[in-house]
Amino acid sequence: MLGQVLDGIKILELGGGKASSFCARLLADYGADVIKLEAPGSGDVLRRHGPFVGNTPHAEKSIPFLYLNTNKRSITLDIVSPTGCLILKRLAQWANVVVEGHSPSHLKGFGMGYEALSSENPSLVMTSITPFGQMGPYRDYKASDIVTTAMSGLMYLSGDADKEPIRNALDQSLYVAGTQAAGATLAAVYQGMATSKGQHIDVSITECMALHLVQAVSSYAYMGAVRGRRSPMNSGLDEVMPCADGYVLPSAQGSQPWEVAVELLGVEEMKAPKFSTAEGRIAHGPELYDLLIKGLWKWNRKDLFHASAERRLLFGMVQDAGDLFECPQLRSRGFYTKGTNLEADGVEFPGEIVRLSEGSYRMQRPAPLLGQHNEEVYCGMLGYGKEEMSLLRRWGVI
Amino acid sequence: MSDALPLKGLRVVDVSRVYAMPYAAAHLADMGAEVIRVEACHIPDTRLQLFALPDNQPGELWWERSGTFHTLNRGKRSLTLDLTKGDALEPLKQLIAKSDVVIENYTPRVSRRFGLDYPSLKKLKEDIILLSNTGYGHSGPWSEYGAVAATLESVHGTGAFMAYDGVPAKIGNSYTDFIAAWTAVFALMAALIHRRRTGRGLWIDLAMYQVGASFVGEGILDHAFNGRRQRPLGNRHLSWSPHGCYPCRGDDEWVTIAVRDDQEWQTLCGAIGKLELAKSPKYADPASRYERQDEVDRWISEWTRTRDKHEIMNTLQSVGVPCGVVMKARDMFKDTHYKARGFFEGVHHSPDSGIGEKPYISRGWRSSGMESRIQGPGPSLGEANEYVLRDILGLSAGDVARLEREGVIGRSPVGASSPRPLPLEQQKLLGWIQDYDVDYKERLG
Repeated sequence: MLGQVLDGIKILELGGGKASSFCARLLADYGADVIKLEAPGSGDVLRRHGPFVGNTPHAEKSIPFLYLNTNKRSITLDIVSPTGCLILKRLAQWANVVVEGHSPSHLKGFGMGYEALSSENPSLVMTSITPFGQMGPYRDYKASDIVTTAMSGLMYLSGDADKEPIRNALDQSLYVAGTQAAGATLAAVYQGMATSKGQHIDVSITECMALHLVQAVSSYAYMGAVRGRRSPMNSGLDEVMPCADGYVLPSAQGSQPWEVAVELLGVEEMKAPKFSTAEGRIAHGPELYDLLIKGLWKWNRKDLFHASAERRLLFGMVQDAGDLFECPQLRSRGFYTKGTNLEADGVEFPGEIVRLSEGSYRMQRPAPLLGQHNEEVYCGMLGYGKEEMSLLRRWGVI
Repeated sequence: MSDALPLKGLRVVDVSRVYAMPYAAAHLADMGAEVIRVEACHIPDTRLQLFALPDNQPGELWWERSGTFHTLNRGKRSLTLDLTKGDALEPLKQLIAKSDVVIENYTPRVSRRFGLDYPSLKKLKEDIILLSNTGYGHSGPWSEYGAVAATLESVHGTGAFMAYDGVPAKIGNSYTDFIAAWTAVFALMAALIHRRRTGRGLWIDLAMYQVGASFVGEGILDHAFNGRRQRPLGNRHLSWSPHGCYPCRGDDEWVTIAVRDDQEWQTLCGAIGKLELAKSPKYADPASRYERQDEVDRWISEWTRTRDKHEIMNTLQSVGVPCGVVMKARDMFKDTHYKARGFFEGVHHSPDSGIGEKPYISRGWRSSGMESRIQGPGPSLGEANEYVLRDILGLSAGDVARLEREGVIGRSPVGASSPRPLPLEQQKLLGWIQDYDVDYKERLG
């Protein structure tokens, strides 16, 4: 049987947070062997992030943690302690890649920065993911998603011009950065296969989001224009509009003539010549808005979505988590797979981000319990005896 | 120093259009790949975009002057091929046979019609890596549905999780295109590693819908475990409070503040001169602050409203409260942090384009071992026709001339005329842009 594309790539994950967790999860999903190092006792900071399974806070029931750590193993290690440092060095010799999300000075502070780890293993690739990067005047600034999204320039463009800027759903900047970090890490691994040299990759979450400003940045650089949030045209087109059972986005984009959309919605007055051009639809926006309301009121969002797609129109609909979970398209592509640990038993997880014709995504194991693989790693891999392990445990190292 | 560019020596054929995949391919060019953009003279694509023309002037060579196009296609070569004409598919197939990666974003039906499906390409080159990007993927009941980022963002769930007062909002800015681009780079690098280790190519079936659903996976899982369908919080946070976006001095100027624990709350109260709030049990924990966040937000806004956004950020950060300026593009260019990290990379354009040197957004990471950088501007239309057809494929001068006569290749657009952008003042009145600086060149330095 063929393995997965990243089989045999060995990864250590240090420090918590969504960005580094998602980065390492993507690598694990496609076959890499990821060992997550967590602080003894408290574990990854994500374990304290809600929502929780059953809505009660519990270290093994954080939904973000369960989602972002499938296919990984977990060991506990106090990397700040002298013994912890020694063990970390041994693990760095084992690993091809370290993915870490600590603040820039943290690892260096106890002598475990890139220089130290790479002297243990010169071919080591280390990927550090932080809000503002390893250098620059803001490197030690505190941040969460709403701060990085603001600083990236993307938030200024998000939402409506007559309201405050709004942040994207569910910590998007951390997912964006995690994905870019995974790509950069693999580029370095690919390069290392030819050169045997390691490298330190400095990922800035803010800059990863700033890459989305293709129009806004070039507008300013080319003609001094400052782009802002969209002004609603008030015509209802390409705007979120209510329908019988939720929200849809009627669109006039795409190659189909306007008549096709008019025909679909079945509102006689929309056939008026004044609406037949884009300019006319803008000029008579409020009137068109009322007619759209009249037409959309008869439709359920899913029926409208399919009917428009069959006519090659590009209408959208607002789907919530329940819709996505039940979605026949995602289900037919095998997007959902069963997790198998105690909490997740029987629950289907969203999985494969992209389909490869061979060596693709596999759900090998659910998110690990805190320190679930201590024995496997310390005894099986590093060769510690049972007594040494209980000693380490007593010292609070693991 | 070629070993500092990991993709040096790799040839990528980019037949994709618009935003997502062209941008992904541009990032491969930054890492040293030779990316050949295949385009048709009658489809101007982003060459026609008006968002950024030098001083808002299309000029005679308007198709070479869009800043959007150059950002998305920097460092590439351009081969023109009208795939619907004559035997245009023949040179494309020959080129693919001498390439490593093909990137396309046709619907499944069209990609099969052009013979750009994986089984066909594999016959041309056994170890080819093909990336097919579609709205919904190459399988499943929705596979032939068309899609654009503007509506996909709602279909894949991000819309339901952002809201003003509970009504789903639009992210805009082609958000879905970008997350597809980052996923494409990740998948392509995984495929290249696979090929280097096994000698085998593979097919990447990238569905933008599925990428989007992965990015809201924690919300889907909340539904799977707890039955919750959505929780649109706007700028608020599930467990941190206060958390939001606050107005500052000036026109449409804002900062964001995220108070993650009680310590940060106490510090914030001190900084905004509201020590009595810090002492009050009414605001002692995140849950009670969340209950009263309207009130807390009013106190914060009162303080921020009269102050400069940068001053607010520096003041709050100096005492350890997470706070960030809501940057406009004009702020980013002069920001000391973006400058110190060299985030904007300068690119020289050819003299006949009349563009001069412009700064571009680069990438989200730096590396001690890679010399990734923007290798040059976007290509002029068909500039690599001779290079590809004669040097790589070995066609005769007569063959190339015949392709030109038949209109398969060319050096200028067909059937499209110079765009006429509105003056910036008018764009501002219409709300297309928020503002403009006539002295932007001096400000850029």
